[in-house]
Amino acid sequence: MKRFLALTLAMIMVAVSLIGCTSPEAPAGEQKPATEGEAPANTGGGSADGFEIALITDKGNIDDKSFNQGSWEGVVEFAEAEGISHQYIKPEEASDTGYLAAIDLAVDGGAKVVVTPGFLFEVAVYEAQTKYPDVKFILLDGTPHTADYSTFETKENVASILYSEEQSGYLAGNAAVKDGMTKLGFMGGMAVPAVQAFGYGYLQGAEDAAAELGLADGSIEVTYHYTGNFEENDTNKATAKTMYQEGTEVIFACGGSVGKSVMSAANESDAKVIGVDVDQRYDSETVITSATKGLAASVIQVLESIYNTDSWDNFGGKTTYFNAENDGVGLPTIVIGDEGADAFDRFEQYTMEQYEETYAQLVDGSIEVIRSIDVADTTGYATAEELTDQLGLKKVVVTTRQ
Amino acid sequence: MENYVIEMLNITKRFPGIIANDNITLQLRKGEIHALLGENGAGKSTLMSVLFGLYQAEEGEIRKNGQRVDIRDPNDANALGIGMVHQHFKLVENFTVLENIILGVEPNKMGFINKNVAREKVMEISQKYGLSINPDALIEDITVGMQQRVEILKMLYRDNEILIFDEPTAVLTPQEITELLQIMRGFANEGKSILFITHKLNEIMEVADRCSVLRKGKYIGTVDIKDTSKEALSKMMVGRDITFKVEKKEMEAGDVVLSVRNLSVFSTLHKKDAVKNVSFDIRSGEIVCLAGIDGNGQSEFVYALTGLEKSTSGSIHLCGQDITKASIRQRSIAGLSHIPEDRHKHGLVLDYKLDENLVLQRYWQNDFQNRGFIKFDAVREYADYLIDKYDIRSSQGAETIVRSMSGGNQQKAIIGREIDKDHQLLVAVQPTRGLDVGAIEYIHSQLVAMRDSGKAVFLVSFELDEVMNLSDRILVMYEGEIVGEFKPKETNVQELGLYMSGAKRDTAKENVHGRE
Amino acid sequence: MEGNNSPSKNKFNINQFLKKIGFGSFVSALMAIILGLVFGYLVMLIANPNSATAGFRYILFGGLQRKGDVFYFATPIIMTGLSVGFAMKMGLFNIGASGQYTMGMFFALYVGFMWDLPDGIHWIVAILAGMIGGIIWGLIPGVFKALLNVNEVITSIMFNYIGMFLVDMLIQGNGTMYDPIRTRTNYLPGSSLIPSLGITGSNVNFGIVFAVIIGVILFIILQKTTFGYELKATGHNKFASEYAGMKGKTNIILTMAIAGALSGFGGAFAILSPSGIAGSSMTYEPINIISQAGFNGIAVALLGNSHPIGTIFSAIFISHIQRGGTLTSLVGYKPEIIDVVIAVIIYFSSFSMIMSSYLGKFLTRIIKHTDKDDNSNNAKEA
Repeated sequence: MKRFLALTLAMIMVAVSLIGCTSPEAPAGEQKPATEGEAPANTGGGSADGFEIALITDKGNIDDKSFNQGSWEGVVEFAEAEGISHQYIKPEEASDTGYLAAIDLAVDGGAKVVVTPGFLFEVAVYEAQTKYPDVKFILLDGTPHTADYSTFETKENVASILYSEEQSGYLAGNAAVKDGMTKLGFMGGMAVPAVQAFGYGYLQGAEDAAAELGLADGSIEVTYHYTGNFEENDTNKATAKTMYQEGTEVIFACGGSVGKSVMSAANESDAKVIGVDVDQRYDSETVITSATKGLAASVIQVLESIYNTDSWDNFGGKTTYFNAENDGVGLPTIVIGDEGADAFDRFEQYTMEQYEETYAQLVDGSIEVIRSIDVADTTGYATAEELTDQLGLKKVVVTTRQ
Repeated sequence: MENYVIEMLNITKRFPGIIANDNITLQLRKGEIHALLGENGAGKSTLMSVLFGLYQAEEGEIRKNGQRVDIRDPNDANALGIGMVHQHFKLVENFTVLENIILGVEPNKMGFINKNVAREKVMEISQKYGLSINPDALIEDITVGMQQRVEILKMLYRDNEILIFDEPTAVLTPQEITELLQIMRGFANEGKSILFITHKLNEIMEVADRCSVLRKGKYIGTVDIKDTSKEALSKMMVGRDITFKVEKKEMEAGDVVLSVRNLSVFSTLHKKDAVKNVSFDIRSGEIVCLAGIDGNGQSEFVYALTGLEKSTSGSIHLCGQDITKASIRQRSIAGLSHIPEDRHKHGLVLDYKLDENLVLQRYWQNDFQNRGFIKFDAVREYADYLIDKYDIRSSQGAETIVRSMSGGNQQKAIIGREIDKDHQLLVAVQPTRGLDVGAIEYIHSQLVAMRDSGKAVFLVSFELDEVMNLSDRILVMYEGEIVGEFKPKETNVQELGLYMSGAKRDTAKENVHGRE
Repeated sequence: MEGNNSPSKNKFNINQFLKKIGFGSFVSALMAIILGLVFGYLVMLIANPNSATAGFRYILFGGLQRKGDVFYFATPIIMTGLSVGFAMKMGLFNIGASGQYTMGMFFALYVGFMWDLPDGIHWIVAILAGMIGGIIWGLIPGVFKALLNVNEVITSIMFNYIGMFLVDMLIQGNGTMYDPIRTRTNYLPGSSLIPSLGITGSNVNFGIVFAVIIGVILFIILQKTTFGYELKATGHNKFASEYAGMKGKTNIILTMAIAGALSGFGGAFAILSPSGIAGSSMTYEPINIISQAGFNGIAVALLGNSHPIGTIFSAIFISHIQRGGTLTSLVGYKPEIIDVVIAVIIYFSSFSMIMSSYLGKFLTRIIKHTDKDDNSNNAKEA
């Protein structure tokens, strides 16, 4: 056995080298090791030219209906319009070194711009920004830092992109109330800044919509809850179900997989859900809209700054918040794969026109949304009082739920 | 030139590494019973498989009535009127007798089987040849002898003129054998031609007209039975003189070695007690045979005795030690050696080398291991010693993978291993099954040597000749019970046959067992 | 192939050679791998004809430039491959390697996070803890099989799920181990990480050294000890092993426990890998997915014919083509296509082992035939 395996492997090598040598397309001398840092030789095919823009996928696939897909759509849209070669690379393992190795590979492949969607790349990009000073990195939803969080540094070649979640949440809350709902729910995951911002925006959006509709004080009830995790589990589903049974018409599910629990509860209760991050209408019929981050839009804008407007300095070396002004947040306005469809078809009254009106107000600054408030509790769970006082809620009555 | 109904001329058939048939010629006359004699592995089955279309010969030709024919598969053979009763029946267990007979040649009307036509024809044949059967019985419910009749009827139903019987008597009782031989004679008188494969010389002398002998794939010759003798035939078969009678001294029985009391064994397969209330003793220096037709509880009894299965009640004592609940290893240490019925299933690890198999019962002893590491030098040395002592032949000596060895040498390996191991009782189940005369002779002499050296031997055999020759005492088992006990000198094969088939049982024993 | 002009002489050599090395298994393994590669190449041709040759060359040779990574990624699948192969020697199908692997990871993580041990000892204890986790998860199906005759395949599959959910639950419930914001474990303390072998650009660590040592130890156990003798005998013919008085039940339990230990080691080696980035480490993400490493172990064991040394080579081979496969991104292959190509290669390579006997016979016949022709020619000449 030993012998035969050793021999087997040896024979394969011989056999394949024969195959390789007889192949007319590929002279043996061309075999350059990829890790020596040279771009691979052009073997003639259009797609074999190496690539200029590379996206490293986070855990999960390119069609994850989340960060990977959203940002890749932006890369594709821009690169195809401009005729720039592009490629995505899947890390061999989901670890900081795995991500870094994928970046290495992308750079070896000739990448001048590397898009890294998601905060999981923070450490890898921190390393890569020094390692490849000539390569530009677009880090979405994160800022580069060391593994132990002791040093945060965004070098000149890195654009750290964050999103104004409060505006997105504002639009969602606004839409729900304008659609005629009076009993809303919020289920955040853990009280991390992004989730908090979504929640605060949601409440402010509901408040303003109620005021606009001329509703009486206290006519909107919001149940406000942090699950304390980002999981799909039975507790989360039970909580959502209880909220629905208590009369809640829609829950803004804002915490990763919590959404699945909420959708499942909504399905059984014949109620509605507002999705988060990306357009989640495709996950469940119960999702009426989603408070999204404009992943594609932000990627395109940064790429524009590199290739067309020569304004990389606007993004490089710092953290940029994407908001309504630069199409960085919003509710979905199109249905993927169906050009003519109405993305607002799951609302009963609320329309695209109303949305655009509100959106314009966010853009021109006539509406300002508060992103953070002071919370006493170390968990970050705000009390109803804190919310009401600091967000200036009148029409909206908040009940927190532990 | 004589007229032969079937001629196989200069047939050569090779398998990788072996020439199974080397230039063999066999000529079958119309209306004769032609025996084909040879040791195991002599090439009989291969030759018949060539005739029946299961193998294609590389050289030579087959003629029917002088015309060259091509037999590519059993259907071709059937079309030429050649039928075969295989050693292992090819019947569908949960079909009826009638359905099995007509299988493949069902008379049909627009796709519907017309069983009445078939039934008439089957009954007609059955009456004509005295092969009475119940056409509606399920195969699984009828005896082996009856199943053989079904196989024979299958051939007759297809109007076969050339009938091949492959070792047909191996599974039958003496009475059934006599009956079968008469039926075969009847066929021959009808003008059918019969090829009778066997290694039992008595049967050939009794029924055959001529006999062709093969040895090691080669054709030795064809003789007229009336001009020959058993001794001459066996010499042709083996190539040397064979003694049929086992030489042995008078028994000198000593102390009780094995004592079995009221042992019952439940068969989970048949959902009933396969062994019922069996009691007997074996003394040192004694060979006790358990005779009986296969399937009457012998296997289950041996399993319980050797520890492969649990007994439901009763006790087993070996040299005074209670081993009823002992593990197999404990029994082995207590002095039990076991030559198992199925050497491939139990006796050997076929993919192990010969030396590894030769220490299968002893690898754990300090002679062969040290702190869990096997002493391969000692194993090899011991294996070479056994190979030499018991004349175990193989291509690469101790290194040989046992699977590649011949059945006889595999059996020799087992016997050497079990005999050489320290023991008081040797349980040998069908130790000579499927072996050639030379090997049988050798094994018999070993068993007698064991007995003479003061060991106890418990032999389970379906071969009455063997039972009569070897034993000092015979126990007959029928349906899980001991129905008779005999001294070989005071009984004969016919009497044993009656007990084995349940036609007779010892009234004294009956009373003993009548308690239940 | 190239010796067509001097057939008889050549054949003579081939025959001698083949006899020497054990003809059937060698040729069939070789053919299997070549067959797998050919199909992989075909898939690449279909997916992207222009880059197929360049891409295929990466698959074949790319790994040579990434030796560190080849060994690094081979480590866990060597262990699960050994685990599956070892049980297979006994005739048991340890499909539960994934669960044992995950348990090994958890135990290693637990010791890594929760026990404060000095440098140089911490990681060793963590590895041993991983082994114990694997043992527990292998032992239970073994006990079920031995005492209650429950098919180990069923129990193992169930234990894959139980183990995975249990570990996910335990990790999420542990504030020290779990980082709820990133929904995965925190970085392990440096003292609990296996020392790196110091190859730049790769996390390859002493895990591979241990894996190879363990493989050799298994080889010795199987070949030299009474336990190995009993184990293989049972695997070949459990009736004969019973007849020989071997303790079948004890051996089943022991074998499954050892198989579990091997997978547990695999989990520990994987999760305790050092990181090239200071302060970083591997993390475990409790996302209710059964680890792939266990199933890859089945392919590895099949390809290595359950032989410990063969398993090491087959794991390295698989890791080699995977590492090369990753590089095909450079010539425009999408990761998904590469996954398909790698899967096709592995699948054919492993699956064809099952057909090996047929293939072997087929080739034997061809060679025999040509031999016979030669002989007859010679005879005529004579």
